[in-house]
Amino acid sequence: MNRTGKLLLTAAPIAAGAAAAVAVKRRRARRPAARRRHVVTVFKPRFELESTQLPGSLSEIADQLEITLAEAPGGRGTEIAVRIRDNATVTDGHVRRALRETQSLIETGDVLLPSGPPTTRPTLLNRPLQMATQHGREGGLL
Amino acid sequence: MRALQWEGVNKLAVGTVPDPELRNPGDVIVRVTRTVTCGSDLHLLGGYIPFMEKGDVLGHEFLGEIVEAGPDVRNHRVGDRVVVSSFISCGNCWYCDQKLYSLCENGNTNPAITETLWGHAPSGCFGYSHAMGGNAGSHAEYIRVPFADVGAFTVPDAVSDERALFASDSASTGWMGADLGGVKPGDVVAVWGAGAVGQMAARAATLLGAARVIVIDRLENRLQQVEQHIGAETLNYEQTDVGGELRERSGGRGPDVCIEAVGMEAHAPGAQFAYDQIKQQLRLQTDRPIAVREAIHACRKGGSVFVLGVYAGFVDKFPLGALMNKGLTVRGAQMHGQRYIPMLLDRMAKGELVTEHLATHVLPLDRAPEGYRMFKEKEDGCVRAVFLP
Repeated sequence: MNRTGKLLLTAAPIAAGAAAAVAVKRRRARRPAARRRHVVTVFKPRFELESTQLPGSLSEIADQLEITLAEAPGGRGTEIAVRIRDNATVTDGHVRRALRETQSLIETGDVLLPSGPPTTRPTLLNRPLQMATQHGREGGLL
Repeated sequence: MRALQWEGVNKLAVGTVPDPELRNPGDVIVRVTRTVTCGSDLHLLGGYIPFMEKGDVLGHEFLGEIVEAGPDVRNHRVGDRVVVSSFISCGNCWYCDQKLYSLCENGNTNPAITETLWGHAPSGCFGYSHAMGGNAGSHAEYIRVPFADVGAFTVPDAVSDERALFASDSASTGWMGADLGGVKPGDVVAVWGAGAVGQMAARAATLLGAARVIVIDRLENRLQQVEQHIGAETLNYEQTDVGGELRERSGGRGPDVCIEAVGMEAHAPGAQFAYDQIKQQLRLQTDRPIAVREAIHACRKGGSVFVLGVYAGFVDKFPLGALMNKGLTVRGAQMHGQRYIPMLLDRMAKGELVTEHLATHVLPLDRAPEGYRMFKEKEDGCVRAVFLP
């Protein structure tokens, strides 16, 4: 086997594992109910958040969610915990994206956009990675 | 514009890509004047970090001139000569407040992959795969820099481009290893790897007051640079027993602080390298942790090991017993450049930190694939290849 083949062999498990894990997360994200809370800590005092509506897409889906705020220990800010209501149509992926965007809006006033215009070209090998990155803020463990 | 693009495993090409655009109001566009290879790029090139797409622009260590600024940029204006931290950080989250900038919560547009792999996501980095945000890299004529007020630093007139370039990543990373590794006056410090980061870590240890600093490598030209420009002692691991030599040079105690600046493609003489190489190629481990193992074994009881080299996943035969029973502190990080760059530029202006010797090869961007080949194969004594877009 040539060097390229060996390296692909080496790299494949990480790529396949990560892509599979992201895909599993996304499949889970499409499942209704069986709910746990999604929680993020934002670096802003609780009283500042309670005095105004949370920014971003979290407020757009708020009627499908139970949102609670709690002071984080050690001056770390405020914990925003979200539970999806029974029979809600939003997914875990929607909530992850909304929480991440809300955190960024609270902390920086903006949500970072990817580089652009793109410099990459689609290939057969790229497709799983591109599918994963198109939903980059929806996956993960949050 | 012209840019160096990743075309596949061990394939690079200079091509034409769209000019970058301002995407957020805190962005600037920088005309890149100098950009440099990094050992960690070789992991991308070799396919060890498999989150690259055909056409991605490489490069994360650079310097240039601001040619366009977003409406929210306050600290810079068009025409500023800036050096930019390789990691992208918002400056406002809890991690940035703790000066742990590479752990920023808001700098990675694609946290899912690394959060799934590692439990939590680090911040984004320029030109370092889609796991790190998919940001276009600096081996190009222009680059978009997000959160420019936080990550771009105006270079003082007293510091040349040639010197300031390495504040972007190598010097910041090296300094972090010595600083967060806890180097104190009187310490004996060992550094694995005499590349740019290892040399900068050694210089940082000296400036922080270490009594002896010993750098370990196998490449004589790099060890000569260490002796000539850094003022540290050296060990060639192909010619001596590193563990025994370090014990002897530290009064039998072992080094107080061990800094690993090698990474996942480490080399070693003998069976250990063959073992790790075979396991890596058989997919039984993702990284070769040879230098980390040796650092843990050599470190004095109660000492500190700092991992600066880049690792992707899982390793075998990690000496957990030595770590636990010797009471070691093991720590690692991607670089928190924003924490160190202003201080480094100040030291560069005073002449305390010199870096020009690291740029052993300076080439036009069109010859970047050749530069990477020389860098990877260590041809002609290449320590770092700098490109002029």
